[in-house]
Amino acid sequence: MRRISRWAAISAVLLLALVAAACGSNSDKSSANASGSDNSSSSSAPGKDSKAVGFIFVGPKDDFGYNQAAYQGAMAVKAAFPNLKVLTAENVPETDEAARVMEGMIAKGAKIIFATSYGHLDAAMKVAADHPDVAVVQQGNFIKGTVPANAGTYFGTVYEPVYLAGIVAGKQTKTNKLGYVYAFPIPQTVANIDAFELGAQSVNPKAETYVVNTSNWCDPAKQEEAAKSLLAQGVDVLTQHQDCTATITKAAEAAGAMVVGYHADASSLAPKGWIAGSEWDWSALYKDIVQTALDGKFTGSKYNANFRSGLKDGLNPFVQSKYGPAVTQDTKDLVAKAKTDISTSGSPFKGPVMSQDGKTLIAAGTVPDYATIESTIVVFVKGVVGEMPKSS
Amino acid sequence: MTAVTAAVLGKFDRRAATRWALALLGAAIVFGILVMTKGANPFSVYHSMLSTVTTSASTDGILLKATPLIFAALAVAVPARAGMVNVGGEGQLVIGGVFAMGMSLAVNGHLPGQTTLVLMCIAAAVGGALWAAIAAVLKLVIGINEAVSTLLLNYLAINVMLFLIYDRWKDRHGSGQPASRPLRVSERFSLIGSSKVHTGLILAVVMVAVIWWVMRSTRWGFQLRVVGGNPEAARRGGIRVGATLLSAMLVGGALAGLGGVAQLAGAEFKLRQGFLATYGYMAFLASWLARHKPINVALAAVVLAAISVTGDSLQLDSSLPAATVNVLMALVLLAVFGWTRVKVARA
Amino acid sequence: MTGAVRGGTSILYCAMGESVSETAGVVNLGTEGSMLVGALAAYAITANTHNPWIGALAGASAGAALAFVHAFFVLNRKANQLATGLVVLFLGLGLTSLFGAAYVARTVNSFKTWKVPLLSHIPWIGQIFFQHDPLTYLTFLLVPATWFVLQRTGVGLLVRGAGERSEVLSTYGHNVLLVQYLAVVTGGFLAGLGGAQLSTAYANAWFENMTQGRGFVAVAVVIFAARKPLAAMGGSYLFGAALALSPALQARGWHVNQFALDSLPYLAIIVVLVLLGKKRAAEAPEGLQKVFEMSIAT
Repeated sequence: MRRISRWAAISAVLLLALVAAACGSNSDKSSANASGSDNSSSSSAPGKDSKAVGFIFVGPKDDFGYNQAAYQGAMAVKAAFPNLKVLTAENVPETDEAARVMEGMIAKGAKIIFATSYGHLDAAMKVAADHPDVAVVQQGNFIKGTVPANAGTYFGTVYEPVYLAGIVAGKQTKTNKLGYVYAFPIPQTVANIDAFELGAQSVNPKAETYVVNTSNWCDPAKQEEAAKSLLAQGVDVLTQHQDCTATITKAAEAAGAMVVGYHADASSLAPKGWIAGSEWDWSALYKDIVQTALDGKFTGSKYNANFRSGLKDGLNPFVQSKYGPAVTQDTKDLVAKAKTDISTSGSPFKGPVMSQDGKTLIAAGTVPDYATIESTIVVFVKGVVGEMPKSS
Repeated sequence: MTAVTAAVLGKFDRRAATRWALALLGAAIVFGILVMTKGANPFSVYHSMLSTVTTSASTDGILLKATPLIFAALAVAVPARAGMVNVGGEGQLVIGGVFAMGMSLAVNGHLPGQTTLVLMCIAAAVGGALWAAIAAVLKLVIGINEAVSTLLLNYLAINVMLFLIYDRWKDRHGSGQPASRPLRVSERFSLIGSSKVHTGLILAVVMVAVIWWVMRSTRWGFQLRVVGGNPEAARRGGIRVGATLLSAMLVGGALAGLGGVAQLAGAEFKLRQGFLATYGYMAFLASWLARHKPINVALAAVVLAAISVTGDSLQLDSSLPAATVNVLMALVLLAVFGWTRVKVARA
Repeated sequence: MTGAVRGGTSILYCAMGESVSETAGVVNLGTEGSMLVGALAAYAITANTHNPWIGALAGASAGAALAFVHAFFVLNRKANQLATGLVVLFLGLGLTSLFGAAYVARTVNSFKTWKVPLLSHIPWIGQIFFQHDPLTYLTFLLVPATWFVLQRTGVGLLVRGAGERSEVLSTYGHNVLLVQYLAVVTGGFLAGLGGAQLSTAYANAWFENMTQGRGFVAVAVVIFAARKPLAAMGGSYLFGAALALSPALQARGWHVNQFALDSLPYLAIIVVLVLLGKKRAAEAPEGLQKVFEMSIAT
């Protein structure tokens, strides 16, 4: 064969292959991921009479933080349902790989799956679409549009206890500089940072919160750097929104600074510096979700939605940690008062709330509801020093 | 297709087969011992691994994982036949994904989905090729070794992607966590039957066949092999070594780029942090395991995908951390490297 | 700047180790793995013995052990250096994951920073160089020492000979293989120390895959520095600086694109390599050159 025609042949084959593969692609009208429905009848209620429950975590179960708390919740489920097999998988990345791990759990009989990290949503939705008889709940994110019959998200209004912790921080700081290390500017985090600052401001108008992001849920080296640079700025109270909390807690303690915890009680790591914190107690919520699904009542339940629980309905899975030794009684009283206020008619974001650039986010006197908070509190408030990574 | 059968079974000789079997057994034993130190029963561990791997759900998962791996492994194999070490699969995969997403954003729905997908594939191939070309040029003009430059370029590629998904391409309607917006449904590879495997796999298989044919039957393939075997002789024989090396890297990069679009349009549908992480390195190992022969390389990619998927079983059934499967992979490779060479390598 | 030194130390250790290994003609891409096992071993042993120095020693030994595996396969079994290095890395990843799970939450008695009396009070320089943990101070001594040994002593000559003119060396009756083994293992020892510094002094924690590519960075630094110790230091600290820069700038309220910063060191190395390129490639020991040129075995 002459050289030219050889190459022509190759190019032709390539092009054909491409077109063939692409022609196989879905037309605009058909739905994505034609569900490869599996053997069990799709008419059974999601999760009913499941033999096993699966939990996937994005990090390790002993990270002194987010994943540890979720893991403890899973263990509470195990204790409460002795006949149920509890499957757990740690370090599951927030990519399509998560779908495979969940599939593996379903293959082992799990009809209830908890995808416990924010970034697991896409994979969880994919799995939910493929298995209508499996109840898939995701922790922390938001399903936009119609919620499928077998899926849901759940979370607590984390910013409420964080607000309370902010009060303590505002009272205890001597330099009026608070530090916040976070991972990504997701709505939860922004709300936390804002609530922290607002809480501090409510008792100490001069308090400012300096923010640093690490673009990672758990990179100890970056956390260390972030902590050290904040401390170098004169910050004397550190807090964070990270999955693993040990590094920053220890860094604060080592520098003699104060620390406000998050996700879990890490006071043992900072006996002197710990002043307050907030942590998870998922057991009640997890157990309730499991029970609802097992009974076949998942579809149409409050969990078959974007479920958020807060101080007002008394089921907030996010609670205050214990106070540290240095916290005075009148600070505790201030906090208790704020808590009662929020539980009844108030909110950490009761107006007026101004953004960093002076715009009014919440008008004076207004008490926003959860939905408004989720959509409005997405920028930093006045008093927060630092910018969010921009998106053009 | 006797030619194909011959190529696959080709140098099947009994001694080599026994060596392979013994080497693998050795690796399995060492792994078993390690597992015992953590209190697990090696037999039940292997049993669970095997039974998990053979379920249909797992096979889907293995093929799904293998699809980009095959592309990336070919991306290592082609330059390797020319004597170049391309460790940049990791970065080239990502850049392929980036270019594909870029094309999708550029077209913005003005063309039918199928056409866009074809364009995305071409863009991905071009992107991957360009990325590899950087390393190739550095080598040819300055003399920087391509192993080092491709390795550095990997990190750069990841940062490029992160920059884009955090900033320009960030999904405004998304959840706030950095990711690009999802691909339109029509721009995705469709699924094969009722499985989760997508048509990208078909593309991969076609590529394997194409590369196999190119390597053995075209002049270019021949030149490649000569340069890889003995560059001096090649030069004296009139082959333009520099051009051959450059083209080898370009082809390699293009293949990896295709792997990137395959994963993007077949499984992930969004660019996210962690996109195809470690696939490039695994593919590197696959190519080396198979001595860079295209068909063997594809098989090796599937095998490594399978081993990596058994990591799920380790975690779910045996309570061992999933990453432990890397030990098994490494042991298998070391065993093969160490004891199944027939000829002694130079250098 | 202090962050640069602090962060760059682990890379520097690795780079030193890799220089030794490469001078003898063996590239060890698995140095990242050595660093990782070193980090875990140091952390684990420190947790058990409460003495970070013993931990550091354990870390170094672990790194050396992994490097030994690499040496065995490359030198004895004649496997390809680059591929084996990556496999060794995977081995390190898997092993540390398997054995490290128990240590993720433990706190240890880590290295504390120690201010050098007098010197640390020198304005600016004092803060940058003299307020660190002991392992960092060790590098200040080790770097010139390594260079000295390699360039000016008989032992160093042997190592260089193994890399440049191994045939000559064997003619003189020296055991080339032994020299290379020792060089690679020493490389691993140093990389392990680097890992130890990372876990017990810098980040004060252990997590899966905590080295995050630092070992590869070290390999690049070695090429860039071509066995000149000051350049190696500079390169390592450059990386450390880039790592520290983003949080530092953010804490001051500046907004610089994080990924531009993250890319900086890699870009810088490439640029430097381009500028110095031809010279460096020619300077590499011959044994090494052979590795890179004809990496593909049959």
